Amino acid sequence: MTQLVESVAIQDFPLWTRMKATRGLISFDLEATARCNNNCRHCYINLSAGDRDARSRELTLQEIGCIADQAVELGALWVLISGGEPLLREDFPEIYMLLKRKGLLVSVFTNATLVHDEHIALFKRYPPRDIEVTVYGATEETYERVTGRLGSFDAFTAGLNRLLECGVKVRLKAMAIRSNLHELEAIADFCRARTNDYFRFDPQLHLRFDGNEERNRLIKSERLTPEEVVALEMKDTQRLASLRKNCDILIDGSSSHAACDHLFHCGLGNSSFNVGFDGTFRLCSSLWAPGTTFDLRRGTLREAWKSFVPKVRDMRSRKPEYLENCRACPIVNLCLWCPAHAHLESGELDRPIDYFCRMAHARAAAIRGECPE
Amino acid sequence: MEITLDLVCMPSENIVARIIEEELIIVPLVSGIGDMDDELYTMNRTGRAIWSRLDGEKSLQEIADELAGEFGTSPGVIERDLLGLVTELVRRKMVVVR
Repeated sequence: MTQLVESVAIQDFPLWTRMKATRGLISFDLEATARCNNNCRHCYINLSAGDRDARSRELTLQEIGCIADQAVELGALWVLISGGEPLLREDFPEIYMLLKRKGLLVSVFTNATLVHDEHIALFKRYPPRDIEVTVYGATEETYERVTGRLGSFDAFTAGLNRLLECGVKVRLKAMAIRSNLHELEAIADFCRARTNDYFRFDPQLHLRFDGNEERNRLIKSERLTPEEVVALEMKDTQRLASLRKNCDILIDGSSSHAACDHLFHCGLGNSSFNVGFDGTFRLCSSLWAPGTTFDLRRGTLREAWKSFVPKVRDMRSRKPEYLENCRACPIVNLCLWCPAHAHLESGELDRPIDYFCRMAHARAAAIRGECPE
Repeated sequence: MEITLDLVCMPSENIVARIIEEELIIVPLVSGIGDMDDELYTMNRTGRAIWSRLDGEKSLQEIADELAGEFGTSPGVIERDLLGLVTELVRRKMVVVR
């Protein structure tokens, strides 16, 4: 019989190539809330669990359904429910099922501390594509130093164990920060003992979306030095090989040429978007700058995707400091710099950032040192 | 269960069928559908034509007759493809017999 139905590995699905060529929407992130029951030192978004103002501004179930309908109509197949802590929302099961029933593959980011019977029953019956949990520490002392909440380590381990026992695909990862650097190896062991995935750590700490100065000082105090980051990367041969091999794909060649003054040279807005807890459309999770966001409570997703995104992608800089430095930098593909992060650091989309610059040079030196050719 | 032409079939409530860029994609809602987590299910043109007619109203025989007319193929070939596909979809729990 002719093969009428076939299963294809997701990454090999030919549809993605076709959608890329037409700037089709493939995925989106939904920040269900900015509130969190933890208070992590490095967090760029969290507001307190009881923040009434934040809660009152959160998208309702109906609004989320409306946005999801539009996203599905535009072709989206994946959605990531993130936060804040999405399980803080009492209507999380309804949000989750609403998205599943629209034919979306759903992933969830959670700290796992609020996982209870209802969630387990839900995930067992209607499995997510995956659930991603960040491990802030391998011991109670370190974990709770990072989260700022007594009892959070026990709640995390209990929740994580329940997720692992119920058979859903759990992915573990870590943030590499000052407060847990001393036990990063133990965190890696903790993760490897529980999943077969490659252990991932993220040393990039973004500043707050709300510009909170006190919190930003705390985040900066948690940042590792470029030398420390590079030392961690050098120890991880798989990560280093991947960095060396893939760093160029971070740059979108189609929007880059010799005299180019465009700000954005990454793939933002090409196949995905982010919707904030209050319905703010962003091209990526870090891009909050005025003029780059769109209110989905006032306009449609189609308008945002079809008309607004191209305008943002066409934004340009006239600042010599940017054009002569970052824009012309031969190692920008090793840099944390992008307009979104520059704005979070300085309030300007086109300002070079010293910390990022030092990181790129430290990485370049390390790679050159290993490959003297 | 043996699938025969007198049966009436329909998509399972445990899947969502999506059409993206003219591609039919079956998204499972519950566990146990399909064989692997990291795969998507799709159909070719004939498969899509069959799928769109599995409405819980028409028998497989009626669907085969419609398709033979539409594709100008001999009824025997269409019936064989139809029964093969529906058997496969029932096995994968993507389609149920009404």
